[in-house]
Amino acid sequence: MIKGLYAAASAMAAGLTRQNLLSHNLANIDTPGFKQHLVTLDDFLYTRQTTPAPKTLGGEAARVLGWPGLGVETAAPEIDFQEGALRQTGEPLDFALQGAGFFQVRTPDGDRYTRDGRFLRDADGQLVTSEGYLVLDAAGAPLNLPLGTVAVTGEGALTVDGQAAGQLAIGVFADPAVELQRDPQRGNLFTAAAAPTGTEPGTVVQGYLETANVNPAQIMTQMVAVGRAYEAAQLLVQVQDELLGRAISTISRL
Amino acid sequence: MSQNVSQLLGLARSGMLARLQDLDVASANLANVNTTGFKSARANFQEMLDDAAVSGVRPAATQMLLKPGSLRTTSNPLDLAVEGEGFFAVQLPDGRTAYTRDGTFSRDSNNQIVTATGLRLVWQGQLPANLEDVHVNPDGTVMAQQAGVWSQVGQIPLTRFNNPTGLAGFGQNMWLATDASGAAQNGTATAAGYGTIHGNTLESANVNLAEEMTHLVALQRAYSLSVRSFQQSDHMFALAIQMRRG
Repeated sequence: MIKGLYAAASAMAAGLTRQNLLSHNLANIDTPGFKQHLVTLDDFLYTRQTTPAPKTLGGEAARVLGWPGLGVETAAPEIDFQEGALRQTGEPLDFALQGAGFFQVRTPDGDRYTRDGRFLRDADGQLVTSEGYLVLDAAGAPLNLPLGTVAVTGEGALTVDGQAAGQLAIGVFADPAVELQRDPQRGNLFTAAAAPTGTEPGTVVQGYLETANVNPAQIMTQMVAVGRAYEAAQLLVQVQDELLGRAISTISRL
Repeated sequence: MSQNVSQLLGLARSGMLARLQDLDVASANLANVNTTGFKSARANFQEMLDDAAVSGVRPAATQMLLKPGSLRTTSNPLDLAVEGEGFFAVQLPDGRTAYTRDGTFSRDSNNQIVTATGLRLVWQGQLPANLEDVHVNPDGTVMAQQAGVWSQVGQIPLTRFNNPTGLAGFGQNMWLATDASGAAQNGTATAAGYGTIHGNTLESANVNLAEEMTHLVALQRAYSLSVRSFQQSDHMFALAIQMRRG
């Protein structure tokens, strides 16, 4: 009885976690390069339940009632690296990657990878992200852009007024979902345990941004599902409680 | 991952607040669709994480968009437009220098070149008193006609910045230099990177009406979605609270 109560409560807790992530994904629907958080649910441990040893029937197998689950918990969140659609902005320092790969940027805590190509030229002429992190070139050094008209080739080679001005670093990971983790403090940036080894980077497009890979229709349907599952779990808790209460009151009358 | 009321409602709230801030920026862009030399802005949002806990979204910066506006011809020879990166420098009443792309200049009673609000343009030279006609060349040299004779009376410089998006808005379509923008670099028009000055011309706002309206529709929908997620989070809490009744 009590086991069922906690199983239902665990479903409510999992519902809140899922609602959390859906709200977060929705809030970032207009964040370029954003990769949505996915959540998967895992069963708790199963426990074998048996009846007390009966007097007449022999053999343990006959006494096993089954393996009821103890509830549900959320597994470690995963990252959905599906590519977002490109949106034209016309800004010369907005870049998008069409296909595989990540821009490499330098934070005070080390190098990070991102698909967010909102870059700027800072006061010293260096190419930085919208949050001021240095954008790196293929050799891992900051990119210095003199004033002038910036152009980029599909491979990420930058030119200013026709003069070569460096090569954007594009790190390709064969399986980003396995090789990359989120930076715990800085949104939209990813850390890698090892240097990227993949080949065939995507095409760098200037004047475009990659939109978040959040699909509003999908989020809304998921939210309805989460809401209903939560209501069902809440009802289960109430039913369990009612049964328990009835058992207590009935037995006390005897 | 633990949840509490303020965190879960805060996530949806951050989404709603972000869309409202975006609406402010979009409104300013739309309001200035006919403002000469206006540069539209873009609100940049960034995902917010706190020790790997999802925390919604936050505004990272409002970025000034530097796309050139279209040029239109006027009848005033002192209507100037810059084609390229440069800004005009004007003197503020308190002595500071502000920068603008709005080249609606005219001659005041003291033979000064002033903006529409009466602020003096910073340039080397002086308009003669007995001016019959004036003309500004692409390199900024100012030609004045006196008694039927043209002569050069000065030159209008241009200013550029490493990071124009880092300029601080002063209002009235003017900007001030900041640490983020880098120091003002003064130079001559037509020199590489400074741009060309066109007389009898004004630069229209670089607001793309269709783009702004599309953005407005999208952000309105995003706002509704955030409201919906706020309602659902609230409903889930209400269910948890109501669980024990008897």
